[in-house]
Amino acid sequence: MLFFSFFKTLVDHEITVELKNEICIRGTLKSVDQFLNMKLDNAGVVEDVRWPHLVSTKDLFIRGSVVRYVHLPSSAVDTQLLEDATRREAEAAKNKAK
Amino acid sequence: MDSETQNPRSGMGDFIESIRDTTVMVKLYSGAVYYGELQNIDGYMNVSLNECREIRNGKVVRNWGEAFIRGNNVSYIGAGS
Amino acid sequence: MADVEVGVATEVPEPLELVRLCVDEVVIVKLRGDRELKGRLHAYDSHLNLVLGDVEETIYIVDDEDEDVESVRTIKKQSEMLFVRGDSVVLVSPTR
Repeated sequence: MLFFSFFKTLVDHEITVELKNEICIRGTLKSVDQFLNMKLDNAGVVEDVRWPHLVSTKDLFIRGSVVRYVHLPSSAVDTQLLEDATRREAEAAKNKAK
Repeated sequence: MDSETQNPRSGMGDFIESIRDTTVMVKLYSGAVYYGELQNIDGYMNVSLNECREIRNGKVVRNWGEAFIRGNNVSYIGAGS
Repeated sequence: MADVEVGVATEVPEPLELVRLCVDEVVIVKLRGDRELKGRLHAYDSHLNLVLGDVEETIYIVDDEDEDVESVRTIKKQSEMLFVRGDSVVLVSPTR
């Protein structure tokens, strides 16, 4: 739930999604769901020379499970807030386990 | 519904208790082997180790110190060094 | 039920506790596919999804035509802020 909420705060930001098959896609995050599936607008493959078959893809949906990394603009991330939320979630998970 | 069905770890509780704080060998599906002092283990086979060493071809290739290993990578855990 | 609890009275931190103690610390993360990350841990969850800051990624490329003479090339990449999906994670270790 933590990362679902986190990605919701990044909607309308420019992100780069690196897939497990090495393809990098840059675009504006338009929506995200609990599986971290994502919808990107104005999307483009970062190295379109290597993957020319994707140059015309502008609006796309990425299944969460094929994602390896998401490169984020650090200006859009409040690290203090994130760390506090992480500690809260860890605490909640621990209490649930008992 | 006893505690054993609720908590996947409690069935192996005695075994885990007996090897906690001792040196264990953790083998991953990738073939990688780690030795370390077992801090703890949970129902996913997530493992935390102290003094963790990574072994390849019988030689220590890396000292990790403390390490957390994600359970889905674990093939088996063996007691003893 | 109650005496089961007594049986594990010596409460030991679960493995994820180790990761919790790494928040706001620099960690090394080993990933599937011969990759490694070093960066400051800002967030994690129980799947080991992570957010790292000031990250250096190292990709190991093993050219093992010969079993004995395995030469390893590395590629390094930098990233200011990185989300890592947990299913790629193998190991997390604090740097000291």
